[in-house]
Amino acid sequence: MGRYVALRDYAVIGDGRTVALVARDGSIDWLCLPDLDSSSVFGAVLDADRGGRFALRPRQPHEARRRYLPDTNVLETTFTTSTGVVRVTDAMTLPGGGLGPSREVVRRIDALAGRVPMCWRVEPRFGYGSATVRLDTRGSYPVATSGSDALAVCAWDAGSPRIEASSVDGEFDARDGASGTIAMIAARAEPLVFPTRAQAERRAAETAEFWRRWSARATYTGPWREAVVRSVLALKLLVFAPSGAIAAAATTSLPEQIGGSRNWDYRYSWIRDSSFTLDALLQLGYQAEAKAFFWWFMHATRLTLPRLQVFYRLDGGPRAPERTLPLDGYRGSRPVRIGNGAAAQLQLDAYGELLDAAFVYVTRGHRLDRETGRDLASVADFVCGHWREPDSGIWEVRASPRHHTQSKAMCWVALDRAIRLARAGWLPATPAARWHAEAEAIRRFIDVHCWSETKRSYVWYAGGEELDASLLLMAIMRYDRPDSPRLRGTVQAIRQALGSGPLLHRYTGDDGITGGEGAFLCCSFWLAEALAIAGRREQAVELMDQLVGLANDVGLYAEEIEPTTHEFLGNFPQGLVHLALISAAVAIGERMP
Amino acid sequence: MSAWGALFGGFAGTLVLTIMFAAGSQLRLTRMDLPFLLGTAWTEDRARARVAGYAFHFLAGLVFAVMYYAAFAVLGRAGWVLGMLFGLVHALFAGTTLVNVLLPAVHPRMGTSMSAASSSPLLEPPGFMLMNYGPATPILTVLAHLAYGAIVGAFTAATPR
Repeated sequence: MGRYVALRDYAVIGDGRTVALVARDGSIDWLCLPDLDSSSVFGAVLDADRGGRFALRPRQPHEARRRYLPDTNVLETTFTTSTGVVRVTDAMTLPGGGLGPSREVVRRIDALAGRVPMCWRVEPRFGYGSATVRLDTRGSYPVATSGSDALAVCAWDAGSPRIEASSVDGEFDARDGASGTIAMIAARAEPLVFPTRAQAERRAAETAEFWRRWSARATYTGPWREAVVRSVLALKLLVFAPSGAIAAAATTSLPEQIGGSRNWDYRYSWIRDSSFTLDALLQLGYQAEAKAFFWWFMHATRLTLPRLQVFYRLDGGPRAPERTLPLDGYRGSRPVRIGNGAAAQLQLDAYGELLDAAFVYVTRGHRLDRETGRDLASVADFVCGHWREPDSGIWEVRASPRHHTQSKAMCWVALDRAIRLARAGWLPATPAARWHAEAEAIRRFIDVHCWSETKRSYVWYAGGEELDASLLLMAIMRYDRPDSPRLRGTVQAIRQALGSGPLLHRYTGDDGITGGEGAFLCCSFWLAEALAIAGRREQAVELMDQLVGLANDVGLYAEEIEPTTHEFLGNFPQGLVHLALISAAVAIGERMP
Repeated sequence: MSAWGALFGGFAGTLVLTIMFAAGSQLRLTRMDLPFLLGTAWTEDRARARVAGYAFHFLAGLVFAVMYYAAFAVLGRAGWVLGMLFGLVHALFAGTTLVNVLLPAVHPRMGTSMSAASSSPLLEPPGFMLMNYGPATPILTVLAHLAYGAIVGAFTAATPR
C-alpha cells in the first residue's frame, strides 16, 4: 500500500457543494473547491507526493476507530495511543445566519483521556497540484492563494501555525479534557471570511443538527434501516445543491484495478441514474430533493432533446472533454482522467431511464406540465426511430457499438412508460399507437435475437453468447412477469456465470479496454432485488445480509470490490451502489411478512 | 428623438429579443428562457410562470428603453449604431451581473453558489455569461441585445420630439 490509504479506509464529509475524503489516519486526501467538479486542492489520493492533503493525527503510534455521529454526515475519529485518547470531529459546515465563509471544514479535537501529542499539516495544491501556490499571512492567519482561489487556516488551542516551504504546520498536546479547533476556510473570486472560534464551532454543531433533522425525515421503516439511512445520507452528499444534479461519485480516476487504466471521472450526473434516484428519494420521503432533481434533469436535457446525452455536468452544461493529468494515480494507477469521453456515446438505455423516472414521479403524486409532456413524447418518438441502432450500452464499452439487449429492453421500457403516461393524460395520446407497435417490435427482436437456448438466458448483445449482469434490470424494470421462465433463467444463469460468493462481475467477454476489474456492487444489489421480485425471498435476504456486511466501517461503498480481499476499487462513494442498496432493501422489505 | 419612440422601440426590441431566444431554444442552441426564469419567481406552474414572466419581461424591456433614452438624451444624439453599443454593454451586464448574480440572489427557486445541502432549489443558476444554459448562450445573448439596442436607438432617433 505504501503511502496510499486503502480506499476502504475513507469516509466522506460534505456540504451539498463539495465533498472531502477523510482517511482513517485523519488525513483529508481529496477535496475539490469550490465545487465537487472543480479542480482539487487536496488530491493525495491520486498522488501522494504532489496532490496535497490536510493531515491531522497523533505523533505516536495509534489505533483509530471511526463512526458518523448518528444519522449525520459529521465524522468522528477516535485515536487511542499509549498515553491517551483523543477524538477528532470533522464537519463541512453549512451556511447559517450571518456572514460566514464560502466553504469551511471544521475539525474539532477533544482530549478524552491522558495526553496525546498531535500534529497537523495543510498542504494546499490548487489546480490538481499543478498551480503555483503562494503562502502568506493575513493578521495571524496563514493564507494560501493561487489565482482567484484562496484558503486559510484558523487554529484555536491547536498549536501555532507555522508556514513552511509549501505547507502550514502545527503541533500541540491534547490533554485532560481540553479541546482545540481548526477551521479551514476557502473562497474563489471573493474575499475570505475569517470566522471566530465560537462561530466555527456553532456552525459545526448546527450542521450536525441539520443532518439529524434531515435523516429523521426518512419514512423508511423496513429491514436494514441503518444501511438505507446511511445510503441516503451519502446520496445527499452527492447532490449538488446549486442545481439539484446528483453526481455519480465524489471522485475521479480511482482505479477499477490497482495499477490499471480503467480510471474514469464520475463527477457528473448520469441520466441513467435518474429513475433509481427519483424512486429512492420518493420512497424514503424526500419530496423536495426528488422534485429538484426532476426539474434539473428536465431542464438540463432541453439543450439536446429529444436526443439525450449520457450525462450532464453538475451545472447543466453538456460538454466534458476528457484529458489526463500529470499525476501518479492511486497506487500508480494511470492515467488520471478528468472529463469523460463517454459523453458523446449513444446509450439507448438512458431513454428508458428518463421515461421511467417521469412515470415514477407522477405515480407518486407529482404532476407533469404540458410542455414536459410534449418533451417526453418527443423522446418516445426518438426511441421509435433509433432503437434499431447499435449502441455503447449501460457499461459504456469503448469497443464498437453493438445491439445490447439491456438497451433494447430499456427502449421497450421507454415506450411502455410513454404509453402509460399518455393513457393517464400526461403525454399526448396521438402517437401512442406507433409507440405500441414499436414496443412490440422491440420485444420480438429481443425474443428472437437476444435469447440463448444454450445458456437458457438473455445474452449481453444480439447474436452473442456472453452474459451481462445489467440484464437483471429487465426484472427490476418489469420487462416481463416476475415468474417469466426467461427472466428466471436469466437470473439463474447470471448468478452462476458471473457470481463470486455474494458478488457479481459485470459481464463475460471482451469490452475493448485492457485490464481487469473487480465485482460490481450495484449488480450484486440488483441480484438481491431480482431474487425478491422472483419470489425467492429467503435467498434475497441472505444475499442482502452479506452485501450489507461488505460496506466499510462507516457504511459506505465504492463502485467495485475485489471478491477475495474485499478491497474497494473504483470511485467512491458511488451513488448507484447506494441507490441499488436502497431499492433492494425496499423491494425485499415489501415482500416480508 | 422622443421618449415615446424609445418606449415603442423598447417594446419592439423586446419582441425581437424574445423571438431570437425562442428560436435559439427551438434550435437547441440554448436553454435560456427568460420569461420562464422570471415567472418561476412567483409560481412553480410552468404555464403560469411563462405568462407572468412574459409580462415582467416586456415591462423590463420598457424600463431599459427609458434608461437608453436617458443615455441618448445625455449624449444629445441617438441612432441604431449607438443603440447597438448600449445593447452590447447591456448584454455584458446581463451575462456577468444582472442574470448571473442578481437574479439568483433574489429568485426564491433558483440555486446560487452558496446553496448548500440545507436547500433544494428547483432552478439551476445561469452561471457566468449564462454559460450553464448552453455554450452558445453568450453569443445569442449578445446578438439579441445588439438587435434590441439597434431597434431602440433607431426608433428613438426616428421619432420627432
